[in-house]
Amino acid sequence: MYLRLQNISKTYGSKEILKGISLDVAANNTVSILGKSGCGKSTLLKIIAGLEKENEGSILLNNIDITNRKPSARNIVYLFQEALLFPHLNVFENIAFGLRLRNENKEDIKNKVTLLLQQLELETEALKMPDQLSGGQKQRVAFGRALIINPPLLLLDEPFSSLDVETRSAMQQLYKSIAVAYNITALFVTHDLKESLIMGDKIAYMENGSITVYQDKKDFINDIKTGVAGEINFWNSL
Amino acid sequence: MHKRKAIIICFIVLCCILPLLVLFMLSFSFRWVYPNILPDVFTTDNWAEFLFRNNSLQNSFFTSLLLSISVSFIATITGFITAKWIAYHKRKNLLLTLAYFPFALSPVIFAVCLKYYFLKLGLAGNIQGIIIAQLIITFPYCIIFFTSFWNNKVRSYENVSYTLGSTGFTTFKKIVFPLAKQFLLTCFFQCFIISWFEYGLTNVIGYGKVQTLTIKVYQFIGESNIFYAALCSCLLILPPVILLWVNKKFILQQSR
Repeated sequence: MYLRLQNISKTYGSKEILKGISLDVAANNTVSILGKSGCGKSTLLKIIAGLEKENEGSILLNNIDITNRKPSARNIVYLFQEALLFPHLNVFENIAFGLRLRNENKEDIKNKVTLLLQQLELETEALKMPDQLSGGQKQRVAFGRALIINPPLLLLDEPFSSLDVETRSAMQQLYKSIAVAYNITALFVTHDLKESLIMGDKIAYMENGSITVYQDKKDFINDIKTGVAGEINFWNSL
Repeated sequence: MHKRKAIIICFIVLCCILPLLVLFMLSFSFRWVYPNILPDVFTTDNWAEFLFRNNSLQNSFFTSLLLSISVSFIATITGFITAKWIAYHKRKNLLLTLAYFPFALSPVIFAVCLKYYFLKLGLAGNIQGIIIAQLIITFPYCIIFFTSFWNNKVRSYENVSYTLGSTGFTTFKKIVFPLAKQFLLTCFFQCFIISWFEYGLTNVIGYGKVQTLTIKVYQFIGESNIFYAALCSCLLILPPVILLWVNKKFILQQSR
């Protein structure tokens, strides 16, 4: 397995947020994690990214134990609910940020960023500042900033939740096509049932700090606690 | 209607400028005897004395400048770092309440309370002691000022930067510093002004041995030398006016 979480636990004071989470993610796959607000989804992603420290457990990425590595040494990119573009940098510089950190030469940076801007349909926005962009454009720039460094793992924490229905749908399709083009391995956290089905090659359900991973979408649909059956009944009863 | 508005505005502007004009005029005067409307003698002697002859006034000016720059620099840097630590601390509210404590007392009362310790530590009557005394006011001020900067958004920017491969220093250099630049400059200016005009703490801890410009102004007023007091006051006004101009010209323009 490309990513292996082994028995991850986390407590805040006396409250147990994660109860021995174990999860495997195969290379070039996206696992979507569905769960209600406060179930521990974001905490799990932050632990994988190294932004929070787990109480117990280990994280293996490509068979290397990264549990005690700093976030900057993990090479795992975290995409937040908000795009969080650096407000003092324009679109081009936001996307180029990771490459500049890696001291790539100027010509390479220019070529890579220009190519990605074209793929994200943002070539006319290159010199704009973040406050001049729409919500969807901001998220695309955030994607670009993450993808350009070719991270081994992408963590997506409800990245489309603040977008309107149409933009959200467009962004989901964009992600699917980019995930194939760039061979992305990702964990996609959402509280939206439909989104979890669209985005994940595999689906997991999180509740009260525990996780259930489903073999296939049929298992996920048949499990009463995921709420899919209730949703289907609702639409059928109309 | 427009005329009335213009008159009111002129009156307000005059109220603000007139005291400064009188001060400026007095600094160029030598004798002013009642009931004359204007001083009897106008001269550049007072300024010439300050610029070329009176070392004591020059010393006061440069002592004040050194003191204020040191205090504002130390307070801004340490306040910025400490505010981050407090803002991300579990007991943020309690620690922030402690930062308000020095403002609960007047600086003079505070200085009297601390005088004994300054004497014991050999910090009374010298410039190092006054820097520390003024830091007791300016450092918590900076902490309170910067806690609004260290919010969840900035923390998220830092986290994004880390996950993109940036170290703590690079994140500070490329993300935090550009975002905080205006805050840092504004805080530096405000601390400079607090320190520049500070009298009570400086007088009590300095024992009158460290002659800052504010101490000099009071000294000249005590000696009824209003012309030198006016000259000192003009010197006191000069750096804040320059700072205001810099603030308006560069910082406000950048933020637009």
